[in-house]
Amino acid sequence: MTGQVGAEVLRVRGLSVAFGGRAVVRGVDFALGAGESLGIVGESGSGKSTTALALLRMLPGGGEITGGSVELAGQDLAALPEPALRAVRGRRIAMIFQDPMSSLNPVLTVGRQLDEALRAHGGRRPRAERAARAVELLDLVGIPGAAERLGDFPHQFSGGQRQRIMIALALAHDAEVLVADEPTTALDPTVQRQILRLLARINRERGTALVVISHDLGVIAETCSRLLVMRDGEVLEQGPVQLLLTDPQHPYTQALLAAVPRLEAPSRAAANSTPGREPLLVVRGLAKHYGPRRRRTTALDSVDLELHPGETLGLVGESGSGKSTLARALVGVHAPSAGEVLLRGEPLGRAGARPDVQLVFQDPYSSLNPRLTVGQIVAEPLIAHRLGDRAQRRARVAQLLEQVGLEASAAERSPREFSGGQRQRIGIARALAPEPSVLVCDEPVSALDVSVQAQVIELLARLQRELGLAVLFIAHDLAVVRQVSHRIAVLHQGRIVESGPADRVVTAPEHPYTASLLAAVPTLPTTTGSLL
Amino acid sequence: MRSFLLKRLPSGLVVLLAASFAVFLMLRLIPGDPATTLAGPDASPAAIAAIRARLGLDEPLAAQYLHWLGQVLTGDLGPSYAIGGQVSGLIGDGIAATAQLTLAALLLVVVLAVPVALLGASAGRRPWAGALRALTTGALAVPPFVTGVLLVGVFAVSLRLLPAGGYASLGDAPDLAVQYLALPALCLALPSAAILARYLQDGLERALAEDYVRTATALGVSRRRILWRHALPNALPSAVTVLGLQVGQLVAGAVVVERIFAWPGLGQLVEQGVQRRDYPVVQDLLLLVVAGYVTVQLLTDLAYSWLDPRVRAL
Repeated sequence: MTGQVGAEVLRVRGLSVAFGGRAVVRGVDFALGAGESLGIVGESGSGKSTTALALLRMLPGGGEITGGSVELAGQDLAALPEPALRAVRGRRIAMIFQDPMSSLNPVLTVGRQLDEALRAHGGRRPRAERAARAVELLDLVGIPGAAERLGDFPHQFSGGQRQRIMIALALAHDAEVLVADEPTTALDPTVQRQILRLLARINRERGTALVVISHDLGVIAETCSRLLVMRDGEVLEQGPVQLLLTDPQHPYTQALLAAVPRLEAPSRAAANSTPGREPLLVVRGLAKHYGPRRRRTTALDSVDLELHPGETLGLVGESGSGKSTLARALVGVHAPSAGEVLLRGEPLGRAGARPDVQLVFQDPYSSLNPRLTVGQIVAEPLIAHRLGDRAQRRARVAQLLEQVGLEASAAERSPREFSGGQRQRIGIARALAPEPSVLVCDEPVSALDVSVQAQVIELLARLQRELGLAVLFIAHDLAVVRQVSHRIAVLHQGRIVESGPADRVVTAPEHPYTASLLAAVPTLPTTTGSLL
Repeated sequence: MRSFLLKRLPSGLVVLLAASFAVFLMLRLIPGDPATTLAGPDASPAAIAAIRARLGLDEPLAAQYLHWLGQVLTGDLGPSYAIGGQVSGLIGDGIAATAQLTLAALLLVVVLAVPVALLGASAGRRPWAGALRALTTGALAVPPFVTGVLLVGVFAVSLRLLPAGGYASLGDAPDLAVQYLALPALCLALPSAAILARYLQDGLERALAEDYVRTATALGVSRRRILWRHALPNALPSAVTVLGLQVGQLVAGAVVVERIFAWPGLGQLVEQGVQRRDYPVVQDLLLLVVAGYVTVQLLTDLAYSWLDPRVRAL
C-alpha cells in the first residue's frame, strides 16, 4: 500500500489562506517524504481543497496565501514569482481534480491535451517523440488501444477512463508529488476502486509522493499511509492511517469515524417501521428506450417492482444502470416505452396529476431555484396541484418546514442562506407538500458530508415512521442503502438482477454483479472500540 | 456532412417559400399601386386599367403569386415595372458592388473583433480593460450614418487619406477598389464588430473560469497558450453563431452605408423599387436577401458542428 519513504520533498509550514480577508486555512503544517502517501480528510468547508490548491498557488479569485510557506526541496513556492511557479506546476508537483468531465477540455482531442502537457515543460521535443510519449502515458494508466485513441475527444471516453486520462496528464513529467483532489468522488464504486489502485500503484512503483484529498475516509484508507484530519481550516491531528482510524485521539475524528456508514452494520429499517401487507406501488414490465428505432438504447428493460406502505426499497446500480430513468418514470417525467405503474391498483396518470409520488433530488444546490424564497419553493407543488388557498398554503408551508426540522420563519429566506443539509431538508419539505404516499429519493445524501448525511437519513426515517411513507431510496453507497432499506434491488444495464431483504443481499449476494459491487466498497479498519 | 445537409436543406427551402409568401403579401399591403404611379398624376381610369392589365395586376392574388414563383424557379425574372430594364439585369448590376462591400465588412468584423476580445479577456482587472469596454460600447452605440459622416470628416476631408465616396471594381483596379472600400466597409463593420467582440470576450472569460483551464494551469501551460489553445476553441462555436446573425445586420446596414458613400450597390435599387412600387424588383431583391441569409445560417450551423466535436458526433 505504501512506497518507500525517502528524503523529505515537500514541507508545508504554517500555511494560511484567506478569501477576501476571511481566513479559510489557518496554520497548516505537514511534511511529505519521497514516495510517501498522505491523505487529507475533512468535511465541506474544512479547507482541504483550498490547502491543495494553495500548494501550487492556484487559488481561485480573491484567495491569497496570508502566511506560512510551501517548501519544495527547500524552495518556498509561496514566495516564488509566477513564471518560476509555472515551471513547477505539472513538472514537479502535478494535480488531478474531481470531475473528469469538466476538467478535460471538451473540444481538444486527448492526444492534443497530452501534447500540451508535454510541451509545457522541457524544451522542444520532436512531435513524433511527444506522440510516442503520449501513447506510453495512456498505456501506463490503462487505456486500452492507446495508440488509436489519441484522436478521440473526452466525451468519447467513460467517466473512469477520463479520470485515467487526467492521471496520465499529471504523470507527463514524472512529478515528484502528485496531488489528487477528490479523485474518485464522481465515479462508481467499481471504477473508484480501479482508480485508487492505479494511484496506489503509481505511488508504489514510481515513487511519486501522493497527496489524496477526500471527504471519504474509505478512499484514503485504500491509498494512503498517513492521514491528516482538517476542520474549519485547521489541522486537528495527523498520523499513520492505521493508527488514526483504529484509535483516533481527537473527538472530531472519533465522531467522523462513527458517522461513516459501515457496510457490515445490519439494516435499521425494520426497527424503524413495519411495511404494510398490501403493495402500494406496483411496477410491471417497465421499459424505456431512447433514440430512433435502429439505433435505440435501452435504459430500462422490463423492470418489475413492488413497494409497500412504510417500506424502504433500496435501489442500487452504477451510472448508466437506469436508476434515474426509473425514478423519473415513477414520478411521470418520462413516459415509459412499455409496462405500467400502478398505485393502489390504479394506473398512474401523467405528471401533473400525481401528487401521490414525489421526488427528492440529489443536488441540494442546483435543485432549489435561488430566485425564489424557501416558502415559494415548498409551496410550488401545492400550486401545481391546486391545493388550498393562499392562507392554507402558507400554514402548510410552515407546518412542513417544522416537520423537516427547520424554523417556520425560514419560509421568508433565500435557499442560498442555508447549508447543504438544510437545503436537502427544504427539498424534502417540498416533496412532502402534496401529502404523497410514495417518496422517490434519487441519491438524496450523496452530495452531503457524512455527519449531515446521518441527520438527513434520520429525518427520512422519522418521516416514514410518522407518515407511513413508502420510500424508494436510490443510491450508489451500499452501506447507506443497507442501513436504511428493508429490501434492496440491484439494477444493472436496465434490468433488476437481484432483489431481496437488505441484510441478505449484502451478506449473501446471489448475482455476481452484486458481489462485484460489494467487493468494490472501500473498507475501514474496525475501531478498537468495537473490538472490545 | 451529407446527412447534415440532407436534414437542413428542406427546412431552408420551407423558410424560403414562407418568406416569398410574406414578401409578396407585404408589398401588396403597403398603400399605393404601381399602375397609378406609372400612369402619372393626370391619367384616366381607363389608362390605369390598361396598365394594370398589361402588368397582370388585374388577376387574382393567388395567380399573381404563382406566376411570380414560376418566374423565380425558371430564373426568368421578367421586366421591371417602373425602373426600366430586366430585373435580372438590374440586380446583376448592383450585386457585385454590394457583395464587395458586405464581404469586406464581414472580414473587418472578424479582424477587429477577435483581437479586441482576446485582449479584453486577458486584461482581467487591469485598468485598460475598462477602456476597451468603453471602445466597444461606443462602436455599438453610434449608428452608421453618424460614424459615416465622422469617418468622411476625418479621413477624407481633414487627413485627405481616403476618398469620401465612389466605387471601383476589385477585378479592374484592386488598389483603387480597396481605397474606395475602406471607409464604407469600416462604417458598416463597426457595430457588428463591437457585438462580436463582446460575445467572444464573454465566451472567453467563461471558458477561462472552466475546470479544464484549471487543469491546464496545474500542468504548467502558459497563460497565453491557455487563452489561445484552450479558451478560444471553446468560445468560437457560439461566436460563429453570432457572426452568422450579424450577416443579416450587415446586409441591412449596407442600404444606409451605400447611400452615405454613393456606393452603386443594391441599396439604391431597393429604395427606388419601394418608392415606385416596382413589385418585381423589390420581391426578387428581398427573396435574394432571404436566400443569402438562409445559406449563411446553414454555413454557420455547419461551422458550429465542425468546431464542436460533441455536436459533430450527432
